Amino acid sequence: MARPKAAFFDFSCCEGCQLQIANFGESLLDILNVIEVVEFREIMSEKYDGTLDVAIIEGSINTPRAVERIKAIRARSKTLVAIGACATTGGVNGIKNVFPLDEIAGYVYGGNFRDYETIQTMAVHQVVRVDYFVHGCPIYPPEFVAVLKALLMAIPYDVPDYPVCVECKLNGNVCMYDRGVSCLGPVTRAGCNSWCINNDNICYGCRGMVSNPNETGAIDVIKQYGLSIERIVNKLEMYNKCRELNPHG
Amino acid sequence: MNRQILNSSHFSVERGVIVKARELSPHDKLFEIALPEGKRLHHDPGQFVEVSVFGAGEAPISVCSSPTQGDTFDLCIRDVGRVTHTIHTLREGDTLGVRGPFGRGFPVRLFEGNDLVLIAGGLGIVPLRSLVQYVISNRRDFGKVSILLGCKTPEDVLFGDEIEQWNKRIDVHFVCTVDKADPEWCGHVGVITSLIPEEMLIPERTFAVIVGPPVMYKYVIGELLKKHIPDRQIIVSLERHMKCGMGRCGHCQIENLYCCCDGPVFHYDEIKHIEEAI
Amino acid sequence: MAYVVLRKDRFDDFVSALSAQRKVMAPVSRGYNQFEFDEVHSGREIALSYIPTILPPKKYFMPQRETLIQFNSDSAEAVVDFYNMVILGVHTCDLAGIQCLNMVFSERPKDYNYLVRKNNITIIGLECNDYCDKYASCTLMSAELPNGGYDLFITEFDEYLLFHVSTQTGEDIINSVGIFEPANASHMSRLAGYRRQKRSIFNKELPVDSKDIAALFDKSFNSRVWDGLNERCLACGNCTNVCPTCYCFDVIDEPALDLTTGRRYRRWDSCQLEPFARVAGGANFRESRGHRQRHRYYRKFSYPVRKFFRYFCTGCGRCSRACMANIVLKDVLRDLLREHQ
Repeated sequence: MARPKAAFFDFSCCEGCQLQIANFGESLLDILNVIEVVEFREIMSEKYDGTLDVAIIEGSINTPRAVERIKAIRARSKTLVAIGACATTGGVNGIKNVFPLDEIAGYVYGGNFRDYETIQTMAVHQVVRVDYFVHGCPIYPPEFVAVLKALLMAIPYDVPDYPVCVECKLNGNVCMYDRGVSCLGPVTRAGCNSWCINNDNICYGCRGMVSNPNETGAIDVIKQYGLSIERIVNKLEMYNKCRELNPHG
Repeated sequence: MNRQILNSSHFSVERGVIVKARELSPHDKLFEIALPEGKRLHHDPGQFVEVSVFGAGEAPISVCSSPTQGDTFDLCIRDVGRVTHTIHTLREGDTLGVRGPFGRGFPVRLFEGNDLVLIAGGLGIVPLRSLVQYVISNRRDFGKVSILLGCKTPEDVLFGDEIEQWNKRIDVHFVCTVDKADPEWCGHVGVITSLIPEEMLIPERTFAVIVGPPVMYKYVIGELLKKHIPDRQIIVSLERHMKCGMGRCGHCQIENLYCCCDGPVFHYDEIKHIEEAI
Repeated sequence: MAYVVLRKDRFDDFVSALSAQRKVMAPVSRGYNQFEFDEVHSGREIALSYIPTILPPKKYFMPQRETLIQFNSDSAEAVVDFYNMVILGVHTCDLAGIQCLNMVFSERPKDYNYLVRKNNITIIGLECNDYCDKYASCTLMSAELPNGGYDLFITEFDEYLLFHVSTQTGEDIINSVGIFEPANASHMSRLAGYRRQKRSIFNKELPVDSKDIAALFDKSFNSRVWDGLNERCLACGNCTNVCPTCYCFDVIDEPALDLTTGRRYRRWDSCQLEPFARVAGGANFRESRGHRQRHRYYRKFSYPVRKFFRYFCTGCGRCSRACMANIVLKDVLRDLLREHQ
């Protein structure tokens, strides 16, 4: 059976998720046994403009040119995978949406900002249809592989719709709240195997919120632990600002 | 770490062979399955099996043929998730994993000698088909038999050919209604409760069986109670996500009952005080 | 009924000798007054004075993730992975929890994955001489005193540990290590005194007879208490994951990249999570957090009583400790009691 043709593309992002994949080491060879990578600028110079079985997209969409480009990629791809927070939720680029467009453009580009066309930051699914999501900043490598397998089997990959706490508890971690630190695990969707907390870090909410978070309950918890609401909201905004554009995202 | 092979694990699967696959609708396919070496499933109408494709997972599917069918059994599968989607890609000759049968089926022994009103809403016809086939195969054991089927539109009516046969029989009374008809439709239009036979219904010797979407149970049961059918003689089959089939994993639990072991078929008197049931 | 004595300064030797024979799991400190069962090789690593661990020892009987089936393109084998191990330092609440799980998994159809693992685990209990903290309700649940379920059971005194030898397996360990002395009458009278003292410390935590709790639940299904929990619960599943008697699971397939080989495994699941009672068509039979919390409480204090004739709460207090929303089991029971005063 011919390996499906796959290409990696990046939009507004740090390309760190592609770097994760490039750094897979030996398991990257296993992946190359099952897909044929025809474009991936971090690891090869070849380009490909034909029909694709799989387009793997990193980065968020925040210019009119990017909108056209992602639509064109979608049009020539059978399956489209969004990888990394920038692509799946808008990620940190979503912070841009906190400010009026002109103000933020002026702040970045100075007086000539009108020469640089810009629009509100959007996650990829807010512009074109996305078949698979690999959340995270950066992506959690085992989840990328799990999604790839679902894709090859042509079955859906269900992103866990429960909080990171579930995986964190299964890992027997000491709760960050018991360490006196605020952590976004309780409202952030799982799937990363509580990667950060396993490594003594807090959850920054990079995977986006669960679909039905108890927000008032969460505020009570924050108060109870004597934490600042403002600080938590700031933390939530880091990755979740684009959520307002599309509540079902 | 030590690893031991378990010969008696209840998670082991039999490999069933698809002897026939047929499209019933754009979302539904009917698979006829044979177990290895002519082994029979030995199920009761209304029981279910756990069907799996390794790699995709396992899903509970009700057996939709009567045990009187012989060496094979039928599964009608709607393409709604990982497992069912994969099963839809399988062809005749392919195998799938089978565990079961599980649960409590329809109490057919109790039905004998009594009149039956079999009521199905939408996909409820799938589990109910096993009972209809069973009743037809053993027709003289039962009194009057009515089959009432309600669907959203004529397009949603599954098993069209077979239903046509039921309709032609002189020994069953079959009626079908849709919420919304199309120009070709010549059956009833309206709610299913309007089809419950008014006259000739002798409550003490009537068993009513209901299988349908959750919203349907309350008002159909209400209607049957108005016609004085005793609680015990109203039978329902409940839908839950049975994962293990052994009353452990918890997914199908309805208060203190496990749908996979105590059900999926219940007498109304067993569940009428159970708020989570319907 | 044999009792033997181990001088405290020989405890380290005991653990080292034991760990030379097989894996030894025992409570270790994780800082922040948190403890967890983990593998140890010496007595110094063990926190003998500990409050209930983050996860109960159920993780050794029913691991968080456990392979059930190993498959390839033409065959599938049911398997069980296990270690021969000793769990050392199991409090009486957790012994009760293991007894509950034993009942569940021994029922027909038997769960051989659980039973094989259980048969390879030796349990050494450890007595509590005081409450761990305010969340415990072990006395109400009759779990403050040893009540079987162990091979050896340790009661700690100032200068020595008194071991109750309950099974042949326990006896074999004592003999193989060979550093124990038989207990004499004065040891036994000190134990009796210790237990008397305990009776004055451990008092029924709530003003209700244990046997009346099931009846309380019979009339509490539509209590407003559940509405209150609906507002507060974050549906994070902490309470069930840390519970020594929760055993719900999900079954998941994990293919390798070749898509033909792989494993089917089970993973702890929680009735508190949104997707738990959802069916393929999308209907969710316990959609609200309050109903899911109610379900959890009924699975502790009502449903198992009808099936196994005991409560599936051990009073360990983990669910209360692990709840970020501060839903405290004792408070919930107290609120239910108040409604019916």
